[in-house]
Amino acid sequence: MRCHCLLLLGLAACGGAVLEGEPAGRLGPDITPAPATLHRLTSLQYQNTVRDLFGSWIQVPTDLDVDTPLHGYRSIGASALTISERAAEQYEAAALSLARQVFGDAARRQALLGCAPSAPDDACARSALLRLGRRVWRRPLQPDELEGLLRLSRQVAASLQSNLAGLEYATAALLQSPHFLFRVERGEPDPEHPGSLRYTAYEMASRLSYFLWNSGPDEALLDAAERGELLHEAGLRTQTARLLAAPPARAALAGFFAELFALERLGHVVKDAALFPQFRPSLVEAMRQEVLRQVDELVFVRNGDYRDLLDGDITFVNGELARLYGLPGVSGPDLVRTQLPAGRRAGLLGTAAVLSLHAHATLTSPTLRGKFVRQQLLCQDIPPPPPGVTTSLPPPTGRPQTVRERLAQHRQDPACRSCHERMDPLGLGLEHFDPIGAFRTQDNGLPVDGRGDLDGTPFEGPRELGRLLRGHAAIGLCLVRQLYRHATGHLESAAEEAGVQALWQRFVRGHNVKELVYDLVLSDGFRRASAPQ
Amino acid sequence: MPRAVLSRRTVLRGALGGAAVSLALPPLEAMLGRGLGFSAPPPPRRFGIWFWGNGVRLEHWIPQGTGTSWTPREELAPLADLKPYLNVLTGLEVKTATHPHHSGMAGILTGAPFLKLGTTRDTIVSTFATKSIDQVAADHLGGKTRFRSLEVGICRFRGSDEGTTFQHLSHNGPNNVNPSEYSPARLFQRLFGALPRPELAAARRSVLDLVVQQAASLRATLGPSDRRRLEQHMESVRAVEKRLRQAEQACAPPPPARDVPDVNGQEQIEQQNQIMTDLLALALVCDLCRVFSVLFSTCGSGVIIWQVGARNGLHQICHDEPLPQPTVHRATVFTMQQLGYFLRKLRDTQELGGNLLDSCSILCTTELCEGNRHNNDEFPILVAGRAGGRLRTGLHYRSPNRENASKVLLTVLRAAGVPLTEFGTAGGHVDSGLSAIEA
Repeated sequence: MRCHCLLLLGLAACGGAVLEGEPAGRLGPDITPAPATLHRLTSLQYQNTVRDLFGSWIQVPTDLDVDTPLHGYRSIGASALTISERAAEQYEAAALSLARQVFGDAARRQALLGCAPSAPDDACARSALLRLGRRVWRRPLQPDELEGLLRLSRQVAASLQSNLAGLEYATAALLQSPHFLFRVERGEPDPEHPGSLRYTAYEMASRLSYFLWNSGPDEALLDAAERGELLHEAGLRTQTARLLAAPPARAALAGFFAELFALERLGHVVKDAALFPQFRPSLVEAMRQEVLRQVDELVFVRNGDYRDLLDGDITFVNGELARLYGLPGVSGPDLVRTQLPAGRRAGLLGTAAVLSLHAHATLTSPTLRGKFVRQQLLCQDIPPPPPGVTTSLPPPTGRPQTVRERLAQHRQDPACRSCHERMDPLGLGLEHFDPIGAFRTQDNGLPVDGRGDLDGTPFEGPRELGRLLRGHAAIGLCLVRQLYRHATGHLESAAEEAGVQALWQRFVRGHNVKELVYDLVLSDGFRRASAPQ
Repeated sequence: MPRAVLSRRTVLRGALGGAAVSLALPPLEAMLGRGLGFSAPPPPRRFGIWFWGNGVRLEHWIPQGTGTSWTPREELAPLADLKPYLNVLTGLEVKTATHPHHSGMAGILTGAPFLKLGTTRDTIVSTFATKSIDQVAADHLGGKTRFRSLEVGICRFRGSDEGTTFQHLSHNGPNNVNPSEYSPARLFQRLFGALPRPELAAARRSVLDLVVQQAASLRATLGPSDRRRLEQHMESVRAVEKRLRQAEQACAPPPPARDVPDVNGQEQIEQQNQIMTDLLALALVCDLCRVFSVLFSTCGSGVIIWQVGARNGLHQICHDEPLPQPTVHRATVFTMQQLGYFLRKLRDTQELGGNLLDSCSILCTTELCEGNRHNNDEFPILVAGRAGGRLRTGLHYRSPNRENASKVLLTVLRAAGVPLTEFGTAGGHVDSGLSAIEA
């Protein structure tokens, strides 16, 4: 693992040098981009997309297939998995329900069609399907595709004796087509890289909009694609700026950080009710919101340095959370901006969300807390224990033990040590915070020893750990890597590493997340493709 | 299903009549089978998997005695009355063990090593390299019924970091999963929901035809891996289309099933198990499907089995609890009680020619031996059902020489009528079954 990091640092130095000689308009060194592929809509993307298509009045289907995250991200799973029989049933029911909601209401139908069809395939039907089709499939329909829909419309209109029924079922067909359920990306020859591919303008529209809005492209973005603007840096910058300035971007970026920090799992975290009666759903939701508000404040209000998230002492608490933190003067259900007092608690690792997520129901878990820092914040994976190694801890000695004492075994047994010495010392430095993130001075009736170390550098508590991480060489690179995975929907290959490193070289200038978003959108990894595999 | 004799469907519809769910078939059998001179068709062959995560405590698992004269220890005691329908297989080994959980899960469900996803991380994220055995069986048994296979889940915990191996059981291939249904209400709707009016069903089928055409044109423009994904999509859409051809219900619907809410934040596992089991048994006896899987808990599951006093997730307890791990032991007993409910429900559901266990070939297993060691020798395996007489039952077979666990996969598939002579790949490959339990 450590060798891996050194290797990356070595490459980084090279990446910086290569950057100097790059032609304007394309960032970073030459890479072999990922193959073009189909990206299935995640269930949230499906829901956002149909809400944007039809309006906020629509009753959005909830009976949808579960997402299968891979490498930590739904977007990566969506680029790899397909549509099961069960999912096809769910999509069919959802498409029929959506079409019925629109066509069952005269005003909404009129708003969608803009005319009254006198035949299932007249000029009104054609123009309505072309207009709707462009939004639903995120590109103009081809003539044969329109003809197929009109044929269906005629057929259903005849059998159900209703022109509108024909269009209703044609709408349902648009909504369960692979062209809607998947973002289809095939690329086109790239004039700047002969023999290689770039994403088409319409594919770029979807890439941008699902990355920045987690929803489908709006008319303006499709128009920009139609004008070819998304194939060039200026057009991409303009649209990125427009999208980033709109409210859905805040939710989409929050969604990324929620996956990075595993916040969605908070809803499934169980704590022992007898020990932690205050761990109620309302408190858990406040914990989740606290982190998301910190992220939002950092990225969209202050437009600040990502690393402030690690050791900052501005946070957001409501009455319940303030009680957990021992902060006076805050009450009520709404989160208010608060300055944390000088003390051990600060930054992401001092939030009750992260401390609760990486702990057990009755006990803290220095191992899980350390693993979170290594894997999610530093991108240093911990391999699983080899088969046959006994992982049970030694039986209790009869006298009370702290978690620190129980874990000592991890670092004595050579089979455990190589991995646990990378995790446990990090988490042990957070031992002053109990399984739900409250400050404590005693563990199991014994005084807490809250000292830990990060690769040999001692620290005590989240504030000090945050400060150490702030200066850690891997911290910025890891965020770049994580956002790259999320945004492109795949795990970067070795052939893209130089591109990730180049993004990092720019990111370290100010650790500004919005700037990273621009750089990522403009990078080869986001705009270019290899032939489909 | 046109047949010379009364179809099973007709017989069962008659048996159910109105809304009654319990099937009093023996009198019916007397009436139809002998009284009216019909020869009842033999029950269909059926195949199933019942899977739980995190293994067992071996010292409480391996029965005393072998052959027909064995007595269960504590963890198999909940299945004692099912002995006439059960084989306990011990001492077998998944031969493709390299990584905890991943290897055993893929090994015992595919007879093959897992497929690692991605090359640039030091952790293991995996999927199955080939289809899971329920889908191997469905290729042979699934075509005649409304559902090719049914997948249900009991305990909600799903992993998130380790790939499809930790999230799903049934696979059609790599990253091609059949997710388990966890909602009784949705499963009920799927199995027994009202059928659409014929003209609306026809309109929906026209839509699906067009969707398949669109997929076919798109498919031709894609690379091989996306082509496979789209082929699955097309196959899935065709299956929905086929279901819309059905003009009548196979059985009168039972009373609607409702979802099981948590009580005081605690998962009501037993109730969920009972409702899903009952629906599945009904789906089998109504011949809505012949292949099924029950994902009681995922591999490496973090379910909190509070019913046995557990206060943390099971996976974590397997790692942390000092030996002899009494909580893990009690959790295994609890899990076998749930399996007992399932098997008893099948045993007690009668149809023409016997009960459901008489016709089933069911593999009941987990992804490793003991959770604290992650070992893949001494793999815990039960085989339930008589597979229409093709399985001998009531045995404890103890392998003398760590035989390949894939032998069991070959045997249970063959017992379900899948004509295989070999199974598995790499270290999981076998060309003979477990003859001790083959009739």
